[in-house]
Amino acid sequence: SGELYCSLPNPRNVRFESVNMKNVLHWSAPEGTGDGVLYKVKYSVYGVGKWIRKPECRNINRTWCDLSSETSDYEEQYYASVKAFLNGMCSDWMETTRFNPLTDTKIDPPMVSVSSTDKSLSITLTAPEKWKRSPEEESISLLQVYPGLQYNVSVLNKKTKKRWFFSISNNTLVVPWLEPGTAYCVSAQIHVTTPLLDSDFSKEHCIATLKDK
Amino acid sequence: KIFHLGACRVSMSTAEIRAGFTAIKANIQSRDPIRTLSILSHPQSLHKVKSSDRCCVAHHLFTFYVDKVFKHCRTEDSFVNRKISSIANSFLSVRRKLGQCHEQNNCVCGEESTEKFKQILANYEGLNVTSAAMKSLGELDILLDWMEKSQ
Repeated sequence: SGELYCSLPNPRNVRFESVNMKNVLHWSAPEGTGDGVLYKVKYSVYGVGKWIRKPECRNINRTWCDLSSETSDYEEQYYASVKAFLNGMCSDWMETTRFNPLTDTKIDPPMVSVSSTDKSLSITLTAPEKWKRSPEEESISLLQVYPGLQYNVSVLNKKTKKRWFFSISNNTLVVPWLEPGTAYCVSAQIHVTTPLLDSDFSKEHCIATLKDK
Repeated sequence: KIFHLGACRVSMSTAEIRAGFTAIKANIQSRDPIRTLSILSHPQSLHKVKSSDRCCVAHHLFTFYVDKVFKHCRTEDSFVNRKISSIANSFLSVRRKLGQCHEQNNCVCGEESTEKFKQILANYEGLNVTSAAMKSLGELDILLDWMEKSQ
């Protein structure tokens, strides 16, 4: 392809960074090269014979490339590769390890909504959605992707500092026998047992139970 | 966990196998330089197997790994070897459970499942035995991803 003598140092740390299956290829610039380095990217489906160039990531100077669309089928696995160019010189192609969107993605915390009565809290949790190409595209909850998805819920009594933990499979939880007129803070995490995937805990959502009638 | 493989109900845990594989995945997959060929996922994907054929394909695959793959996967790394043998032991117990379904006639082998498994064996025999075994071991997550859809 008319490429020149490839003695440029290689891009480093070429890897996928994935959140909710938004799969972005990242890398670091070759050592010792200042500004002006350009890159091109290609990817391949594991088990299929050809590398495919990513036109939107041809001759780019940034060090990332969004391959979410190309790697959206999570029943497949992928490789991606990056090559650097500077002043007529080029580097070797530098590859990722094999990327499995199902096991190698990070999951965001669930959305938490809470309502209260005088003696109980009702907690509703919503799992994040899988990345999609456009808002019009049909949404797929990560609940559909991971059949074993569970929620770990933490409830803190702000007054006594007593904390409870619950592990639930469905997305609603009622916490009874609470103290009226007391502030409680709720936080939740997604837990998938296999493949083993845990989200961070969500931000705390604080609410007070109603005062005694 | 209960796995629904066609008419076969099997209670088993893949978490231990999964954890063992995750610990050695990068090491094992780096020993497989062939990107253009897969044992399990191409040209036909496991994910296209009909529900009624799932038990038979699963039984074939666990037997395939026990009889053909693990014994050819020794490495120079004792940590990796220990993980491989622990995975192999887990496979033995899962295969036994699938075998029980087979004996109870809940594991029917239709034409499609037989064809599917023939394709996998052809992929395997297309490589020398060590490369084929290491590639198959590196594809364990493909098998587990497929199995775990049946929870």
